[in-house]
Amino acid sequence: MKNIETACKKIFRLAKGVQCEVMAEKRDSALTRFADNVISQNVASSALSFSVRLLDGGRSAKMSFNQADDATLKHAISSGLEILKHQKKDPALLPLAKPRALAAGKNLFDRETAELAPSFRAGKAAELARACRKAGQVACGTVDNASSELVLANNLGLFARYRDTSVTHSVTVKDHDGSGWAEQTSHAVNRIDFARLNETARAKAAASRRPRDPKPGKYTVVLEPQAGADLITFMSAYSFGGQFYNEGRSFACGKLGKQVLSPLLTLEDNALDGAAAGMPFDYEGQPRTRVTLVEKGVLKAIVHDRKTAKKAKTVSTGHALPQPSYFGPLAINLAVKPGTATLQDLIKGTERGILVTQLHYTNLLKAQTVEMTGMTRNGTFMIENGKISYPIKNMRFTQSMVEAFANIEAMGSEAELLQGWGSISCPAMRLSGFNFSSATKF
Amino acid sequence: MFKLATKAIEIANKYKVDFGDIRIVEERNQAVAVKNGEIGALTDQTTLGYGIRVLYQGAWGFASGRDMTERAVADTTLKAIAIAKASRLLMHGKVRLAPEPAYTDFWQTPFLKDPFAVPVQTKLDILFALDKVLRADKKIKSSEAEMTFMREHQWHMTTEGSRIEQVLLNSGACITATAVLNGESQLRGYPCSHGGQTLAGGWEIVEAMNLADHAERVREEAIALLKAPACPTGLKDLIISGNQMALQIHESVGHASELDRVLGYEESYAGSSFATTEKLGKFRYGSEIVNLVADATLPGGLATAGYDDDAVKAQRWHIVKDGILSGYMTNREFCGRIGKERSWGSCRADGYSNIPITRICNLSLMPHKGTTEELVAGIKDGVMMENNTSWSIDQRRLNFQFGCEIGWEIKNGKKGRILKNPRYQGITPEFWGSCDGIAGPQEWRLWGVANCGKGQPGQRAMMCHGSSPARFRKVKVGVHG
Repeated sequence: MKNIETACKKIFRLAKGVQCEVMAEKRDSALTRFADNVISQNVASSALSFSVRLLDGGRSAKMSFNQADDATLKHAISSGLEILKHQKKDPALLPLAKPRALAAGKNLFDRETAELAPSFRAGKAAELARACRKAGQVACGTVDNASSELVLANNLGLFARYRDTSVTHSVTVKDHDGSGWAEQTSHAVNRIDFARLNETARAKAAASRRPRDPKPGKYTVVLEPQAGADLITFMSAYSFGGQFYNEGRSFACGKLGKQVLSPLLTLEDNALDGAAAGMPFDYEGQPRTRVTLVEKGVLKAIVHDRKTAKKAKTVSTGHALPQPSYFGPLAINLAVKPGTATLQDLIKGTERGILVTQLHYTNLLKAQTVEMTGMTRNGTFMIENGKISYPIKNMRFTQSMVEAFANIEAMGSEAELLQGWGSISCPAMRLSGFNFSSATKF
Repeated sequence: MFKLATKAIEIANKYKVDFGDIRIVEERNQAVAVKNGEIGALTDQTTLGYGIRVLYQGAWGFASGRDMTERAVADTTLKAIAIAKASRLLMHGKVRLAPEPAYTDFWQTPFLKDPFAVPVQTKLDILFALDKVLRADKKIKSSEAEMTFMREHQWHMTTEGSRIEQVLLNSGACITATAVLNGESQLRGYPCSHGGQTLAGGWEIVEAMNLADHAERVREEAIALLKAPACPTGLKDLIISGNQMALQIHESVGHASELDRVLGYEESYAGSSFATTEKLGKFRYGSEIVNLVADATLPGGLATAGYDDDAVKAQRWHIVKDGILSGYMTNREFCGRIGKERSWGSCRADGYSNIPITRICNLSLMPHKGTTEELVAGIKDGVMMENNTSWSIDQRRLNFQFGCEIGWEIKNGKKGRILKNPRYQGITPEFWGSCDGIAGPQEWRLWGVANCGKGQPGQRAMMCHGSSPARFRKVKVGVHG
């Protein structure tokens, strides 16, 4: 921290009066990966990076580097100043914003998590692998932990600091031709229920053996939290960002205030104290605000950075990515409001449908309807008369998400924290008329 | 740098590791882009650090650092050894590496003009001019013109005595226009969208693209697509051209032939492969004209280098020969599992901070004969598709769906009107088995994939896929939700 502060002061001095913004990130991470019931990778990384943006009356340059010695700083900043000198003015370029008061945000730093030893990670992998080997199953997955510290400072007086930790246990178990998956992420290792995750993945793998051939078509689906979160995240990224909205490429264009999605869907972005909280300021140093994107199916708002806000004649909601940004603003602390149904209730209420554990290789096909494709993975089951009747081979969906999330029949009560394009808290949910366009061979 | 590297090797030897290496990597990345008439990116990034790998009593450990002092290198080496000791808690047998001679060498990407010596303002001037042409019609709501350049300088030293210095250079560019009207949007790009075309070489790569000659066409085709009919649905003959062939090769053959995936070591993330080892030398992957060759010596290839990150010398080999599965992408750890005494050399790491893993090499579909026109002439009812917009494939690389920027109807041997939202689905061996025409060498060209993701922690790798347009029979096209 002290080193970062010192480097910032040196950089500001070198910037010689032009506007200067420094983003510094220190990250220590470690990951133990296992497959085929053995540790296959065991790695640790310690990184520090600086990104410096110089702005001078419509001219800009950005230099990034990972060494903080005086020679590197001097070379980087003088190169940037040289670029400014020869650059034509871009009248649309925004100057740096004046510092604003920032909330402290949630404390998501846990020292025990930051300091996990390689033997702890290896031990957790070994517990699962030994149980799997005994049962004729194969364990694959990861145990990883990281601590990060981010400083965003500028020579107008901003000095914002955020630090957090993270730990994830991700389990994939293969049982002959069956497979199962479970994963949990938290900022604190004592919140990870290793035993439950191992048991869930192992049971699912056993239950998904000898899958039958399914018939493509429209089905009611029960999406477990990862599957639902994957789709919600895509819809948010390509629809609720100010740039897509301003360019007319979002399905939300002209529909704010209208009931477009299911009354069971309420979606907010809340970095401050939401279920998927995070950094309380954005990459322009603006305070992150709580934004309700969808309330009971009514489209309420989109998120902005300063640039898209100016074009839309509004104010930033504090959702800027590092500038300049090709993608525009992005909601990265999403939370779907839980309903009242347990996963068993969702299955029980399904006359004929498909239970999806996880989605794989999802991708966007058409922006305006958020039409997507992707595969099911690690546990796909046919539901008949309110019960899981048999495992089925994996299927490909080709489906508009606008249509899918208008067809929510029931929302789960227990949300899980998942990682994707940021963080999202999402429960399981049941949707009707979900289109599966083909199946695969396993 | 080798002096600093020597410290890691000394410590690794002192602890009597089975194998140890250090890669010191200095990278420079520059991105310059104009989006909608404004600067979209203007970044210049340099990183310097080292990754140290040890195989200690048969178990792997890896640690990386950025503090360029002997003391820090020593600490990082000890950290890697401590991690390797922890890995011994869960192992079946000792990891053994396939033998490879020790090399002392210097290798560099050939280039004509250093892209980093071209002034940023020159690049911006070109991009602003392109962007102006792209936005000349109000129906274009999003325009992008971009260039990227990357130089990677590596110093690689192993306990076996290799001392290899390499300088890899690549350059890329593209223009894209998105037309929007009445709730519909259509994208067109040149040479392709999604980050554009990147090849190994210098500024001459960008110059050879002649971007200015294509900006007006890109704009007009994006607008024309708004009113074009949608790609029809059904089983039709398909010709794939542009960078879509690269994606088809990449997803359905490249990843499927990574031996670590095949053996289940990527199961928890990207998945495994249907192309399992008992199929080697026997399995019909495609028709007899399908030959797919991996080549780390290919001029212009993004995976072209003197050596991989296992210190194995660059090679060229068949993955599919006359339609039969004939090889894999390998590293020194796993090649013995298929009876290979030497790795084919396809093990690479992303930057200094990641452990080397098995990656796709440059992988190309070999040309056959004839022209695209002759392929078209042989189709009664079909579609031609060009340039990828969307990709998805299952975790064993069987069921895939791709979307392209533009399609053309083919009726009775003639290429006709353009079609929007062209897509197709298939099952890998059935699809390659339906290939009955590949245009000749005069239409063969190389396409770069500059953002291939794999591994945990996630790593990026770059490679190229060369091909001529190819014809496939009775493919499921026009899949809509």
